Amino acid sequence: MEQFKKKNLIYQILPLVSVSALILSWIAFSLATGGIIFPGPASVVRRILKTFETPIAGMTIIGHTLISLKRVLTGLFISCVSGISIGILVGSNRYLKATLGSFLEIFRPIPPIAWIPIMIMWFGIGELPKILLIVLGSFFPVMLNTASGISLVNKINLDVGQIFGGSKISILKEIVLPTALPSIFSGIRTSVSCGWTVVLAAEMMGAQQGLGLLVMKGWGINDMALVLGAVIIIAFIGAMFSYLLKRAERLLMPWNR
Amino acid sequence: MEQIKTKKVEVRNLSKIFFQKNSSFEVVKDVSFDVYDGEFLVLLGPGRCGKTVLLNMLIGTETRTSGEIHINGAESGKPSPAMSMVFQKKALLPFKTVMENVELGLKFQKIEKEQRRKICQKYIDLVGLHGFENSYPHELSGGMQQRAGIARAYAVSPDILIMDEPFGALDAQTRYQMEEELLQIWEKERKTIIFVTNNIEEAVYLADRIILLSSCPAHVKAVFPIELPKPRDLFDPEFLRIREQIETQTDLSL
Repeated sequence: MEQFKKKNLIYQILPLVSVSALILSWIAFSLATGGIIFPGPASVVRRILKTFETPIAGMTIIGHTLISLKRVLTGLFISCVSGISIGILVGSNRYLKATLGSFLEIFRPIPPIAWIPIMIMWFGIGELPKILLIVLGSFFPVMLNTASGISLVNKINLDVGQIFGGSKISILKEIVLPTALPSIFSGIRTSVSCGWTVVLAAEMMGAQQGLGLLVMKGWGINDMALVLGAVIIIAFIGAMFSYLLKRAERLLMPWNR
Repeated sequence: MEQIKTKKVEVRNLSKIFFQKNSSFEVVKDVSFDVYDGEFLVLLGPGRCGKTVLLNMLIGTETRTSGEIHINGAESGKPSPAMSMVFQKKALLPFKTVMENVELGLKFQKIEKEQRRKICQKYIDLVGLHGFENSYPHELSGGMQQRAGIARAYAVSPDILIMDEPFGALDAQTRYQMEEELLQIWEKERKTIIFVTNNIEEAVYLADRIILLSSCPAHVKAVFPIELPKPRDLFDPEFLRIREQIETQTDLSL
């Protein structure tokens, strides 16, 4: 019992150790290289705080973060709703898989960033093209994972549904969707990181606000502290996202633990 | 048996052939039998051939090549509330608790939560799972999972229960115990049961009547009414005699 507790404690401590090691080597590396091309944590924090006194493009770093966050969340929301619905259709119906599925398969391998010139040509540099790009980048993981999760359902479980008198809809709701849920969640997790990739790229290509703009600005004036500051905020939000997703998974799938 | 036996199920000339590219494979061949009201009928046959297909045709999840099935006098082709089933294994939904699994059928019938919980609780208690209502299947032993499967099948109060080798995956000790308990439930509820097994001892222990099926393709080889009073003693000379008599006629590769 005592041994068991010790072992569990180790798994709680190890993440702290690895993160501290990362920060320490960051400090060491920045000291060794003089701190200009690779500023240390202290100067990055200072740079972030400085944006509160002298805003960039009329906004503090919080404002830019919220703008990017809003774009990502809007795009992800559209991707999740459409991806899960289309994934269910494609995963449960052979005809739709053959038609809609193969149609979408043509678009799947195209890197979303490749659409940026077309999007800017068609829709300018406003909110719409950015959100469309995020949707393009994050739709496929959710859709494909939903479809494959749905085809994972055992025949015997479908038979159970039929034998106990379930209608198509209630079998979908009570048996098929819960089976696919873990797979849907792993699709959402992939989509979240795709969403961030795309929003950054889109903002770097042409935006007046957002974390991508900060990265571009920092790059343009050799302000690496600003670039790193934006990167760290993205990492932090990413960690928050995955924490929230884990909590939601536990809540929605209590049988997995 | 004084009362006139009413026929619950009539199976006539039932066959199933699976067709592949260039070959066909006959798994059920011209099977006919009747099942009477309240009867505990055992279909005894060698493993891996035809029995599950036969059951699936009975319950309506498998199409037939030819033949007729009448349930309560009416031709049957798809799953109906008159029948429910206990499966061989892994047929509990892993993401539902014992209670949620048991109430599935009643939920499909849109029975209100309070009422269906009450019905299900009765059957959960009957199979001895009181206190495990909120456990997930993976937290239960094989025997307990099968108990939940039995409760689920009883909860929809079917006329006929079909059981497909429900105790096949259990260890011997649990198996004996489950057989005994199943008989007690059967005495209490008096439902018609069609029970499939490849275990002769289990068949003789449980059955009012045994229908012996041949190996591939499955067809009826012999019918044995077992008149011994229940519960039966596995070492009773008469029990052993019947067991031996059936054994000499089976294609079981034991």
